[in-house]
Amino acid sequence: MTSTSLESQLVIGAVLFALGMIGFLTRRNLILIVLSTELMLHGVSVNLTAFGRYHGNPQGQVFTIFVLTIAACEAGLALSLILTLYQRRKSLDVYLWGNLGEDDLPVFTGGGTAQQTKPLDPNADLPHLTPAGRAPATPATKT
Amino acid sequence: MKNGALLIPVVLGWLAVWWMLPREKGRSRILGALMALGALLALQVTFLPPVGNVVRDSLFYLFSGTAILSGGLMITDRNPVFAALWFALSTLAVCGLFLLNSAPFLSAATIIVYAGAIVVTFLFVIMLAQQSGASNYDHHAVQPVMASVMSFVLLGALLFALQEWGGIDGKAADEVKAGQFVAQDAKVRANIFSQPPSSNKNEIGSMRVLGRSLFSDYLYFVELAGTVLLIATIGAIAIAPRRSQGTL
Repeated sequence: MTSTSLESQLVIGAVLFALGMIGFLTRRNLILIVLSTELMLHGVSVNLTAFGRYHGNPQGQVFTIFVLTIAACEAGLALSLILTLYQRRKSLDVYLWGNLGEDDLPVFTGGGTAQQTKPLDPNADLPHLTPAGRAPATPATKT
Repeated sequence: MKNGALLIPVVLGWLAVWWMLPREKGRSRILGALMALGALLALQVTFLPPVGNVVRDSLFYLFSGTAILSGGLMITDRNPVFAALWFALSTLAVCGLFLLNSAPFLSAATIIVYAGAIVVTFLFVIMLAQQSGASNYDHHAVQPVMASVMSFVLLGALLFALQEWGGIDGKAADEVKAGQFVAQDAKVRANIFSQPPSSNKNEIGSMRVLGRSLFSDYLYFVELAGTVLLIATIGAIAIAPRRSQGTL
């Protein structure tokens, strides 16, 4: 069909992107979600370098270098966020963070079950401040 | 139907991924592997014709097959440690594709940044956080049918667009011209450091051409990327748990 095989590389990039999207949507492990986004970025990078090769200019590779930079930033920030979240719940399950809704709303669990491990400290989600005065009543201690 | 052939790899691939997605009771891996291989073969027949150069073709099929298969194994493996290792293998295969696209510097940089830094730090976190191996939530996928169907519909749309496009080489000259980007005027420069593009097509991946383009045409963006890296570093240090709160 072609002597440059541009289309073949576009197909590979599309497949990698779709696989990363499936991983992003279906995995429940926080770390694997981030790794799936990196897989999607790989698909985009393959596309960029293939176009750079086709047009014979270095812009595709320059763009890929910027993608690499942003991916490194993203990995660092995601890792520190994941560490913070893990420290609160002692688990990497993403379902444990689906509690932004009201308490009386049903928790979306999709397929499978979420091990709703209550945090040991009911105030763990609150900011850590120097304790002063009377402890406020939290919903967990009221009931 | 003219475009009916693209349904075969898409449907087979969807079946393979849906079959292998983690669930409570493990399924036969052999069946999933057979379906994945069938999908890859159908994809090759439909979309990836050999170019003619035997060495290049075999390298391309090797790298792309490894990238896709290890990517699929990464999103379907129930053990997160193995999933991270599959991701490292997929990264290496993608770096091989970069090499085929005459980007040796980019390939080396990607190996160093991804396989050397990102995967290793993520493996550290996984091993620290899950010392008992795979846990309950790794055995369940969120909405496996919906997610995989939607992703493969997107993939089918992309492949359909590519097939309708039919490749840039089969087009008439004016059609190609109409579909291409506006050609860069040789006299227009991004900034005062910009130099006219090299006419030698063989050295697009060399450090000289890459560095010249990076530090002349994209000088401001290099500075911006450095600033983003700095801010991300500060943010990561600010977000990460303090030692007084107990790390991990």
